[in-house]
Amino acid sequence: MSTKASRAAARLMISPSVILLLGWMLIPLGMTLYFSVLRFNLLMPGDNPFVGFENYRYFLTDPGFTAAIWNTLALVLGVLVITIFGGILLALLLDQPMFGQGIVRILVIAPFFVMPTVSALVWKNMFLNPVNGLFAHLFTALGLQPYDFLSQAPLASIIGIVAWQWLPFATLILLTALQSLDSEQLEAAEMDGATPLSRFWYIMLPHLARAITVVILIQTIFLLSVFAEILVTTNGGPGYASTNLTYLIYVQSLLQYDVGMGSAGGVVAIILANIVAIFLMRMIGKNLEA
Amino acid sequence: MARAVTTQRKALNTVIAWGVGILIFFPILWTILTSFKTEAEAIADPPLWFNFHWTLENYVTVQERSNYFRHFWNSVVISVGSTLIGLAIAVPAAWAMAFVPGKRTKDVLMWMLSTKMLPPVGVLVPLYLIFRNLGLLDTRTGLVFVLTMINLPIIIWMLYTYFKEIPNDILEAARMDGAGLRDEVVHVLLPMAVPGMASTVLLNIILAWNEAFWTLNLTAAKAAPLTAFIASYSSPEGLFYAKLSAASTMAIAPILIMGWFSQKQLVRGLTFGAVK
Repeated sequence: MSTKASRAAARLMISPSVILLLGWMLIPLGMTLYFSVLRFNLLMPGDNPFVGFENYRYFLTDPGFTAAIWNTLALVLGVLVITIFGGILLALLLDQPMFGQGIVRILVIAPFFVMPTVSALVWKNMFLNPVNGLFAHLFTALGLQPYDFLSQAPLASIIGIVAWQWLPFATLILLTALQSLDSEQLEAAEMDGATPLSRFWYIMLPHLARAITVVILIQTIFLLSVFAEILVTTNGGPGYASTNLTYLIYVQSLLQYDVGMGSAGGVVAIILANIVAIFLMRMIGKNLEA
Repeated sequence: MARAVTTQRKALNTVIAWGVGILIFFPILWTILTSFKTEAEAIADPPLWFNFHWTLENYVTVQERSNYFRHFWNSVVISVGSTLIGLAIAVPAAWAMAFVPGKRTKDVLMWMLSTKMLPPVGVLVPLYLIFRNLGLLDTRTGLVFVLTMINLPIIIWMLYTYFKEIPNDILEAARMDGAGLRDEVVHVLLPMAVPGMASTVLLNIILAWNEAFWTLNLTAAKAAPLTAFIASYSSPEGLFYAKLSAASTMAIAPILIMGWFSQKQLVRGLTFGAVK
């Protein structure tokens, strides 16, 4: 049992982390909330008057906002669908006996370690470029017209790039979960004459359900904040075609210097992220008790 | 596995898996190959696979034109610095929560995690203004601070899950033998915790190295780490594929190698122990 003295020591040891994180969270958060009700533009020095919910009204009725919300949704859902389905297939594949399994696994997870700016620029120039990209070469070799991915289908291209980065993460987590499956159960099912498909559907998939949920929740948190990939490939365009919420707020606050509006957008982004976070926290909290 | 697997089936698996693996890895492979080509060879149609004049010229050019190693060094300082500072703050906290759990320990842990859920863009404006007023924009000090705070919850969580696995009996035995708190930590706990701490450090260096929101928004020419430096290739002049590839290869190589060593810990670290 812990003594009173050790408990006091424990509190002392935890406090630096708590104080730092508390400050890190509360100070900027408080400022964001405060700025969001001011008319505050860095290009127009003045006394930054209180304007109530005006910034929110402008932000929420801005045509860019509607576009950004849909793009954010499409980006998150698109990447989730690709990485979950691809991840399950890859995990099943990598779980099979084969030669050089370790090396294949290394090849598959590699994209996760590539920094976002590098993967975005490599895809943009060396693959998707309509003149010199590999896909353009491939298309002309097949007798097709080269396709300008980033201006014809900017959002889909970004979804592809981001999915390539996150596929390894989903695969790795699903593979880890798959390997914790009791193989006796599978053997018993096989002896009872269950087909591979029904083995997957009735035994593997329920076992993976938890890992899939974790992948969805964690990826969603990160995917809501995709930024660098958009910045270096399309700059959010053409128009608002590939602007997500994060990028829209960046444009308003750091390019248009509209602190008030950017802050109102920030509050909206925080609320959206929190909806996801609540579910994620509940799952992790359950695990903590077990 | 007890199930008999025919060699044929295994061979088939091998072929498919290698095919898929190489396909996924291909963009990285292509970048590495292109970095050794001349600019003209880099955009050749049909593409050149291995039959080109291998050259190191691009690596030299990238360094000469843009002082590449300055940015490389920025990345090293920022990622290693933020990880070590984070570790120094996190070890006592994780130790205390793992071995002297109180009624509210779980709540504190969950709350720390919740700070990670805050979207960075939600605090972009205030942080930018604070940095501007304190003269921290485009400084390594500023970035080390931000990245320390961003990764602190992950460090605490990972350490906590590792410390939790150390049996309490050993600590009690040490206490019985009259070991003080300091001895307990230095001679009993730390040696057992080293593998977990090493994985934590590795994963956090990777995360900090690749962080591309704050590094892009809070730095300019001086303190820019590789994430921000590479972004400057998005509006290039003239032929640049080979040079972009050389800069990219150098930027991802160290992390790729570290990442391959830490793949097991990656799952634990990024799922906060929810999947092991």
